[in-house]
Amino acid sequence: MSASSNHTLPQSDRSQERGQLRRMRYVSLLEGTTLVTLVFVAVPLKHLGGYPAATAILGPIHGAAFLFYVWMLSQTISAGDWATREIVRMIAAAFIPFGAFANERALKRKEDAMAVTV
Amino acid sequence: MDYLWLKAIHVAAAVTWIGGMLATGLVVTMVPASQHKRSAGELPMLEAIRRWDQRVTSPAMLIVWGLGITVAVKAGWFSSPWLMIKLMIVLLLSVLHAMLSGTLRRMAGDSGHASPALLRYAAPLTIAAVALIAILAVAKPF
Repeated sequence: MSASSNHTLPQSDRSQERGQLRRMRYVSLLEGTTLVTLVFVAVPLKHLGGYPAATAILGPIHGAAFLFYVWMLSQTISAGDWATREIVRMIAAAFIPFGAFANERALKRKEDAMAVTV
Repeated sequence: MDYLWLKAIHVAAAVTWIGGMLATGLVVTMVPASQHKRSAGELPMLEAIRRWDQRVTSPAMLIVWGLGITVAVKAGWFSSPWLMIKLMIVLLLSVLHAMLSGTLRRMAGDSGHASPALLRYAAPLTIAAVALIAILAVAKPF
Protein backbone atom coordinates (compact mmCIF):
# COMPACT_ATOMS: atom_id res chain seq x y z
CA MET A 1 0.00 0.00 0.00
CA SER A 2 1.41 3.39 -0.83
CA ALA A 3 2.25 5.73 2.00
CA SER A 4 -0.15 8.39 0.73
CA SER A 5 -3.14 6.04 0.75
CA ASN A 6 -2.17 4.80 4.23
CA HIS A 7 -2.66 8.29 5.59
CA THR A 8 -6.17 8.56 4.16
CA LEU A 9 -7.26 5.61 6.33
CA PRO A 10 -8.91 6.30 9.70
CA GLN A 11 -6.78 5.49 12.77
CA SER A 12 -8.80 2.32 13.61
CA ASP A 13 -8.32 0.96 10.07
CA ARG A 14 -4.60 1.72 10.15
CA SER A 15 -4.31 -0.15 13.42
CA GLN A 16 -6.05 -3.16 11.81
CA GLU A 17 -3.78 -2.98 8.77
CA ARG A 18 -0.71 -2.92 11.00
CA GLY A 19 -1.96 -6.05 12.76
CA GLN A 20 -2.47 -7.75 9.40
CA LEU A 21 1.03 -6.76 8.22
CA ARG A 22 2.53 -8.10 11.47
CA ARG A 23 0.78 -11.47 11.00
CA MET A 24 1.91 -11.48 7.36
CA ARG A 25 5.53 -10.98 8.53
CA TYR A 26 5.31 -14.03 10.81
CA VAL A 27 3.85 -16.18 8.04
CA SER A 28 6.57 -14.95 5.66
CA LEU A 29 9.22 -16.02 8.18
CA LEU A 30 7.54 -19.42 8.60
CA GLU A 31 7.43 -20.00 4.83
CA GLY A 32 11.04 -18.85 4.41
CA THR A 33 12.29 -21.05 7.24
CA THR A 34 10.61 -24.20 5.92
CA LEU A 35 11.95 -23.51 2.39
CA VAL A 36 15.52 -23.00 3.62
CA THR A 37 15.30 -26.14 5.79
CA LEU A 38 13.91 -28.14 2.88
CA VAL A 39 16.52 -26.97 0.36
CA PHE A 40 19.62 -26.85 2.58
CA VAL A 41 18.93 -29.65 5.08
CA ALA A 42 16.35 -32.15 3.81
CA VAL A 43 17.48 -32.32 0.16
CA PRO A 44 21.21 -32.87 1.02
CA LEU A 45 20.15 -35.44 3.63
CA LYS A 46 18.19 -37.30 0.95
CA HIS A 47 20.79 -37.19 -1.84
CA LEU A 48 24.05 -37.21 0.15
CA GLY A 49 23.05 -38.89 3.40
CA GLY A 50 20.61 -41.47 2.08
CA TYR A 51 17.67 -40.27 4.21
CA PRO A 52 14.70 -39.90 1.84
CA ALA A 53 12.40 -39.51 4.86
CA ALA A 54 13.78 -35.98 5.35
CA THR A 55 12.14 -34.64 2.18
CA ALA A 56 9.08 -36.87 2.64
CA ILE A 57 8.45 -35.12 5.96
CA LEU A 58 9.56 -31.57 5.18
CA GLY A 59 8.06 -31.45 1.66
CA PRO A 60 4.43 -31.50 2.82
CA ILE A 61 5.24 -29.19 5.77
CA HIS A 62 6.71 -26.61 3.39
CA GLY A 63 3.76 -27.16 1.01
CA ALA A 64 1.33 -26.31 3.81
CA ALA A 65 3.42 -23.27 4.85
CA PHE A 66 3.51 -22.05 1.23
CA LEU A 67 -0.27 -22.45 0.89
CA PHE A 68 -0.75 -20.48 4.10
CA TYR A 69 1.61 -17.76 2.79
CA VAL A 70 -0.35 -17.47 -0.48
CA TRP A 71 -3.61 -17.30 1.48
CA MET A 72 -2.35 -14.62 3.88
CA LEU A 73 -0.83 -12.59 1.03
CA SER A 74 -4.13 -12.69 -0.92
CA GLN A 75 -5.99 -11.57 2.21
CA THR A 76 -3.52 -8.75 2.94
CA ILE A 77 -3.54 -7.48 -0.64
CA SER A 78 -7.36 -7.58 -0.90
CA ALA A 79 -7.80 -5.17 2.00
CA GLY A 80 -5.21 -2.65 0.84
CA ASP A 81 -4.03 -0.66 -2.15
CA TRP A 82 -0.91 -2.56 -3.16
CA ALA A 83 1.12 -1.69 -6.24
CA THR A 84 1.51 -4.49 -8.82
CA ARG A 85 5.31 -4.26 -8.41
CA GLU A 86 4.98 -4.97 -4.67
CA ILE A 87 2.67 -7.95 -5.24
CA VAL A 88 5.00 -9.48 -7.86
CA ARG A 89 7.93 -9.04 -5.49
CA MET A 90 6.07 -10.74 -2.59
CA ILE A 91 5.16 -13.72 -4.80
CA ALA A 92 8.55 -14.09 -6.52
CA ALA A 93 10.54 -13.91 -3.28
CA ALA A 94 8.55 -16.82 -1.82
CA PHE A 95 10.12 -19.15 -4.40
CA ILE A 96 13.71 -18.09 -3.64
CA PRO A 97 15.54 -19.35 -0.53
CA PHE A 98 16.06 -16.40 1.86
CA GLY A 99 13.69 -14.29 -0.31
CA ALA A 100 11.03 -14.46 2.39
CA PHE A 101 13.41 -12.80 4.86
CA ALA A 102 13.76 -9.81 2.48
CA ASN A 103 9.96 -9.78 2.24
CA GLU A 104 9.74 -9.69 6.03
CA ARG A 105 11.89 -6.55 6.11
CA ALA A 106 9.74 -4.90 3.42
CA LEU A 107 6.59 -5.75 5.39
CA LYS A 108 8.16 -4.30 8.56
CA ARG A 109 8.88 -1.03 6.71
CA LYS A 110 5.23 -0.90 5.56
CA GLU A 111 4.06 -1.58 9.08
CA ASP A 112 6.26 1.21 10.46
CA ALA A 113 5.05 3.62 7.74
CA MET A 114 1.47 2.80 8.75
CA ALA A 115 2.26 3.83 12.34
CA VAL A 116 3.12 7.39 11.27
CA THR A 117 0.35 9.73 12.32
CA VAL A 118 -0.76 12.77 10.35
CA MET B 1 -5.43 -41.93 13.05
CA ASP B 2 -7.51 -44.24 10.91
CA TYR B 3 -7.93 -43.22 7.23
CA LEU B 4 -11.74 -43.14 7.43
CA TRP B 5 -11.68 -40.89 10.51
CA LEU B 6 -9.24 -38.50 8.84
CA LYS B 7 -11.42 -38.42 5.73
CA ALA B 8 -14.60 -37.86 7.76
CA ILE B 9 -13.09 -34.89 9.65
CA HIS B 10 -11.64 -33.55 6.37
CA VAL B 11 -15.10 -33.61 4.73
CA ALA B 12 -16.79 -32.04 7.79
CA ALA B 13 -14.19 -29.24 7.81
CA ALA B 14 -14.64 -28.74 4.04
CA VAL B 15 -18.43 -28.36 4.44
CA THR B 16 -17.86 -25.79 7.23
CA TRP B 17 -15.29 -23.89 5.13
CA ILE B 18 -17.48 -23.76 2.01
CA GLY B 19 -20.59 -22.78 4.02
CA GLY B 20 -18.66 -19.89 5.56
CA MET B 21 -17.29 -18.84 2.17
CA LEU B 22 -20.77 -18.77 0.65
CA ALA B 23 -22.10 -16.65 3.52
CA THR B 24 -19.15 -14.23 3.24
CA GLY B 25 -19.48 -14.14 -0.55
CA LEU B 26 -23.17 -13.23 -0.37
CA VAL B 27 -22.58 -10.51 2.23
CA VAL B 28 -19.69 -8.95 0.30
CA THR B 29 -21.85 -8.96 -2.85
CA MET B 30 -25.05 -7.64 -1.28
CA VAL B 31 -23.82 -4.99 1.17
CA PRO B 32 -23.08 -1.85 -0.85
CA ALA B 33 -19.66 -0.20 -0.70
CA SER B 34 -19.84 2.81 1.55
CA GLN B 35 -17.92 6.06 1.40
CA HIS B 36 -19.60 7.19 4.62
CA LYS B 37 -20.27 5.69 8.04
CA ARG B 38 -22.04 2.33 7.91
CA SER B 39 -25.69 2.23 8.95
CA ALA B 40 -26.57 0.89 12.41
CA GLY B 41 -27.77 -2.40 10.93
CA GLU B 42 -24.85 -3.05 8.59
CA LEU B 43 -21.94 -2.78 11.01
CA PRO B 44 -23.04 -5.48 13.51
CA MET B 45 -23.79 -7.87 10.62
CA LEU B 46 -20.41 -7.23 8.96
CA GLU B 47 -18.65 -7.66 12.31
CA ALA B 48 -20.54 -10.90 13.05
CA ILE B 49 -19.65 -12.39 9.64
CA ARG B 50 -16.07 -11.25 10.08
CA ARG B 51 -15.81 -12.91 13.53
CA TRP B 52 -17.30 -16.11 12.09
CA ASP B 53 -14.75 -16.01 9.28
CA GLN B 54 -11.88 -15.57 11.75
CA ARG B 55 -13.01 -18.12 14.32
CA VAL B 56 -14.75 -20.81 12.24
CA THR B 57 -14.29 -20.52 8.46
CA SER B 58 -10.53 -19.85 8.37
CA PRO B 59 -9.64 -22.54 10.97
CA ALA B 60 -11.86 -24.99 9.03
CA MET B 61 -9.84 -24.20 5.89
CA LEU B 62 -6.59 -24.91 7.77
CA ILE B 63 -8.01 -28.27 8.94
CA VAL B 64 -9.01 -29.07 5.33
CA TRP B 65 -5.46 -28.41 4.12
CA GLY B 66 -3.76 -30.24 7.00
CA LEU B 67 -5.91 -33.36 6.83
CA GLY B 68 -6.07 -33.32 3.03
CA ILE B 69 -2.28 -33.36 2.77
CA THR B 70 -2.07 -36.05 5.50
CA VAL B 71 -4.61 -38.30 3.75
CA ALA B 72 -2.88 -37.83 0.36
CA VAL B 73 0.54 -38.69 1.85
CA LYS B 74 -0.83 -41.76 3.67
CA ALA B 75 -2.63 -43.00 0.55
CA GLY B 76 0.31 -42.27 -1.78
CA TRP B 77 -1.79 -40.12 -4.12
CA PHE B 78 0.72 -37.33 -4.73
CA SER B 79 1.69 -38.74 -8.14
CA SER B 80 -1.96 -38.92 -9.30
CA PRO B 81 -3.06 -36.30 -11.89
CA TRP B 82 -6.54 -35.97 -10.34
CA LEU B 83 -5.00 -34.88 -7.04
CA MET B 84 -2.75 -32.29 -8.72
CA ILE B 85 -5.79 -30.75 -10.47
CA LYS B 86 -7.76 -30.87 -7.20
CA LEU B 87 -4.91 -29.13 -5.34
CA MET B 88 -4.85 -26.35 -7.94
CA ILE B 89 -8.60 -25.82 -7.56
CA VAL B 90 -8.27 -25.83 -3.74
CA LEU B 91 -5.48 -23.25 -4.01
CA LEU B 92 -7.67 -21.00 -6.21
CA LEU B 93 -10.59 -21.49 -3.81
CA SER B 94 -8.29 -20.52 -0.92
CA VAL B 95 -7.21 -17.36 -2.77
CA LEU B 96 -10.89 -16.51 -3.38
CA HIS B 97 -11.59 -17.02 0.33
CA ALA B 98 -8.63 -14.79 1.25
CA MET B 99 -9.92 -12.05 -1.09
CA LEU B 100 -13.37 -12.29 0.49
CA SER B 101 -11.88 -12.23 3.96
CA GLY B 102 -9.66 -9.20 3.23
CA THR B 103 -12.50 -7.30 1.56
CA LEU B 104 -14.83 -8.04 4.48
CA ARG B 105 -12.20 -6.75 6.92
CA ARG B 106 -11.97 -3.44 5.08
CA MET B 107 -15.76 -3.19 4.58
CA ALA B 108 -16.25 -3.53 8.33
CA GLY B 109 -13.71 -0.77 8.94
CA ASP B 110 -14.37 2.92 9.31
CA SER B 111 -13.28 3.84 5.78
CA GLY B 112 -15.70 1.58 3.89
CA HIS B 113 -14.37 -0.31 0.88
CA ALA B 114 -15.53 -1.25 -2.60
CA SER B 115 -15.28 -4.98 -3.30
CA PRO B 116 -13.25 -6.16 -6.33
CA ALA B 117 -15.41 -6.92 -9.40
CA LEU B 118 -14.40 -10.61 -9.37
CA LEU B 119 -16.09 -11.06 -5.98
CA ARG B 120 -19.51 -10.44 -7.55
CA TYR B 121 -19.16 -14.01 -8.85
CA ALA B 122 -17.74 -15.44 -5.59
CA ALA B 123 -20.74 -17.63 -4.77
CA PRO B 124 -21.17 -19.27 -8.22
CA LEU B 125 -17.38 -19.70 -8.53
CA THR B 126 -17.31 -21.41 -5.12
CA ILE B 127 -20.10 -23.82 -6.08
CA ALA B 128 -18.44 -24.63 -9.43
CA ALA B 129 -15.11 -25.30 -7.71
CA VAL B 130 -16.74 -27.54 -5.09
CA ALA B 131 -18.53 -29.53 -7.83
CA LEU B 132 -15.22 -30.11 -9.65
CA ILE B 133 -13.46 -31.08 -6.41
CA ALA B 134 -16.23 -33.56 -5.54
CA ILE B 135 -15.99 -35.20 -8.98
CA LEU B 136 -12.20 -35.44 -8.79
CA ALA B 137 -12.13 -36.74 -5.20
CA VAL B 138 -14.93 -39.29 -5.55
CA ALA B 139 -14.57 -40.54 -9.14
CA LYS B 140 -10.76 -40.11 -9.37
CA PRO B 141 -11.12 -40.11 -13.18
CA PHE B 142 -7.38 -40.12 -14.00
